[in-house]
Amino acid sequence: MVGLFGTLDMGARSLGVQQEEMTVSGQNLANVNNPSYADEQLVISDSTPDETPIGDEGTGVQMTGITETRNPLLDTQIQGETSVTGSLTAQQTSLQNAESYLDEQITTTASSATPDSPNGLASDLSNLFASFQGLTDDPRDLSLRQTATQAAQQVTAQFNQVSTQLSKVQADLNTSVQNDVASANQDLNSIATLNQQIVEAQSAGGSAVQLVDQREQTLENLAGLANFSATTQANGAVNVSIGGVAMVTGANAVNSLQAYDPGDGNLLVQAQTGGTSITLTGGSIEGEITARDGALATLQTGLNTLASQLITQVNSIYSAGYDLHGNTGQDLFTGTNASDIGVNSSLVNDPSEFQAAGVSGAAGNSSVALALGQLGSQKLSSLNNQTFGGNYAQTVSDLGNSISSVNDNLNNSQAVAQMLSNDRTSASGVSLDGEMTNLIQYQKAYEASAELITTLNEMLQTVVSMKTS
Amino acid sequence: MRVSTDSFTNNFNYQIGQLESQQTILQAETTTGLKVTLPEDNPGVMDQVLNLQGEASTNNQYQNNISQVQASANTASNAINSLQTIVEKAGEIATEAGGVTSSSQLASYATQVSQLLQQALQLGNTQDANGNYIFGGTDTANPPFSATTDSSGNVTGVTYNGNTSLAETEVAPGLTVSAQNAGENNTGSGASGVFADSRTGADVFSHLISLQQDLQSGNTSAISSTDTPNLTKDEDNVVTQVSANGVLQSTLQAAGNTAQQNATNFDSEMSNDTNANLAQTITQLDQTQTAFQAALQSGAMVMQLSLMEFLP
Repeated sequence: MVGLFGTLDMGARSLGVQQEEMTVSGQNLANVNNPSYADEQLVISDSTPDETPIGDEGTGVQMTGITETRNPLLDTQIQGETSVTGSLTAQQTSLQNAESYLDEQITTTASSATPDSPNGLASDLSNLFASFQGLTDDPRDLSLRQTATQAAQQVTAQFNQVSTQLSKVQADLNTSVQNDVASANQDLNSIATLNQQIVEAQSAGGSAVQLVDQREQTLENLAGLANFSATTQANGAVNVSIGGVAMVTGANAVNSLQAYDPGDGNLLVQAQTGGTSITLTGGSIEGEITARDGALATLQTGLNTLASQLITQVNSIYSAGYDLHGNTGQDLFTGTNASDIGVNSSLVNDPSEFQAAGVSGAAGNSSVALALGQLGSQKLSSLNNQTFGGNYAQTVSDLGNSISSVNDNLNNSQAVAQMLSNDRTSASGVSLDGEMTNLIQYQKAYEASAELITTLNEMLQTVVSMKTS
Repeated sequence: MRVSTDSFTNNFNYQIGQLESQQTILQAETTTGLKVTLPEDNPGVMDQVLNLQGEASTNNQYQNNISQVQASANTASNAINSLQTIVEKAGEIATEAGGVTSSSQLASYATQVSQLLQQALQLGNTQDANGNYIFGGTDTANPPFSATTDSSGNVTGVTYNGNTSLAETEVAPGLTVSAQNAGENNTGSGASGVFADSRTGADVFSHLISLQQDLQSGNTSAISSTDTPNLTKDEDNVVTQVSANGVLQSTLQAAGNTAQQNATNFDSEMSNDTNANLAQTITQLDQTQTAFQAALQSGAMVMQLSLMEFLP
């Protein structure tokens, strides 16, 4: 027999359990907007029964722990998708920057109702060749020579400007790689520390759900920077390795990432200890490297090839020409690529030095100007059998293709991330209505237990008054 | 399926975001009238537009070139027609002078021929609107013909200072024409000379000078036997020049028409490639807005519902 006092004790414990239920519900309600929080539950069971001649007699309820609804598979999937999204977002941002610097944007203007792209290199190049053609109308005319010289200056200025800005995008990407590597290392350290705290808490028999939440948040943060593989150990610790190199083992951050310069100024990633080079396949660091060495590098190479071909091809025709004073042998363009292409400075000061004529002393001869103008519609083997304009258009549309495919992939990835996040909130998220219902239930149970104690109190008074009366 | 508080707001935010971005895109299409503005919108169309833009610019330059060459060709045409009149007139004088014996009559003819010679010389140094000499080949900066005169003011010789090469201007892909003319070509090859050409035997100035001298000296037999046939050669040569100029003008006319047509084609191609179908876009915008409104309304309704509203 449990007896009156035993039952009183049972009521008291029951009150304690209902109170704890309230606390857990309160914790859940407080974290209703925390995306990495997993709904917690108090685990209760009936306490060890007393064996009596009439059979086992219940002794009430007891708390055995606090658990959270976490689906490790979903967590892993979300980490993976976060890496994909992180990589694509980094690519999208930098490539769209590059795209805006090219300034090829189709518009209609008040002066021209036909949609075209008036500000970029495409229109500068066509203006250049048109101005060469125009020079054949009256090769003696200084203003036409001036127009051709200015068109050449506009082309070189645009090449220089785009080249500088693309170099800046490239430099920004390298800075981002460095910053992201530093952030990833911080995350790795936090994970090791949290591992230690989780293992300690759990080995002491306690609950470490808040720490696990924190660690999950850190892991997801890390996933956005660099993709990793994580394995959960029996003691609750999570081991993290990046690119096959162990970074966190139990409570120790055994290695870290390091951004290094392989010689060309474009940072890559290696393991700090051991120096193993690491090839990432996801996360913003990988996205930055991919954008920099992929579409951006292709764009830069394309523009440099175009500029150097323009310099070579134009100069080889131009230098054979004669200016109005009978001089020959000068170059129109100086420099070797998009960054340093320029116009012969003495020509800029004196357009009469434009070598438009094929022979000396014939002011009306414009065979060089004609050849330069016709160069614009020539398909050159050094430019994949494309014209200058065609080659540039190809370069622009290649970049467009890269961005467009990143956009599509990012949309898909975001949809997948949304789906996974839905699955997780569905399984682990807090439901306000559910918690409110629980609160009422716990409140009623608390009232009932209190009622039990009140009743027992009255019964005990009855017992005590039996003696006094 | 269990729905947590987060599930709903997460989904709601995502859906609203999708609808908003679609709405922004359609709104931009409606205001600009363009469905492609950036390379990423449609790389293929961008490639096409940049290429078309280049071709349109070249085509536009062809149109400029055509009108420039046309202006010079008109100037040349006027000059050549005048030259034809001069040569015909000289021919008539030569024919008439063959039967005249009166020395005063012959002197009067000589004066007329001397005037014709001066006019021809003036024509030879014709400049176009830009001040370029059109009968000096590529030497457009200097007067192509210079005359030497004797003490009594008679022209005794005309020297050609120009050259026989012509600068070409492109007026259509691969089609080049020249606004320049060689005044004289005795090399036997290349551009035909307007005033003198060894291939046709034409030499307006020396023939006029010899006619003038024969008239002055009263050598009527030489006028009939030499000067008249020579002037006929000059006439033939000028007629050839007139028809060559006509061919040039009609070539320019045809090239101009083609360029005009091409300009229209390029414009419409670029418009077709990039213009949004406004009826379709506005309908889609309408649909998206309706969906957006419905999402907001239903979201607001669902979010208001909470057990807390009903608890005492």
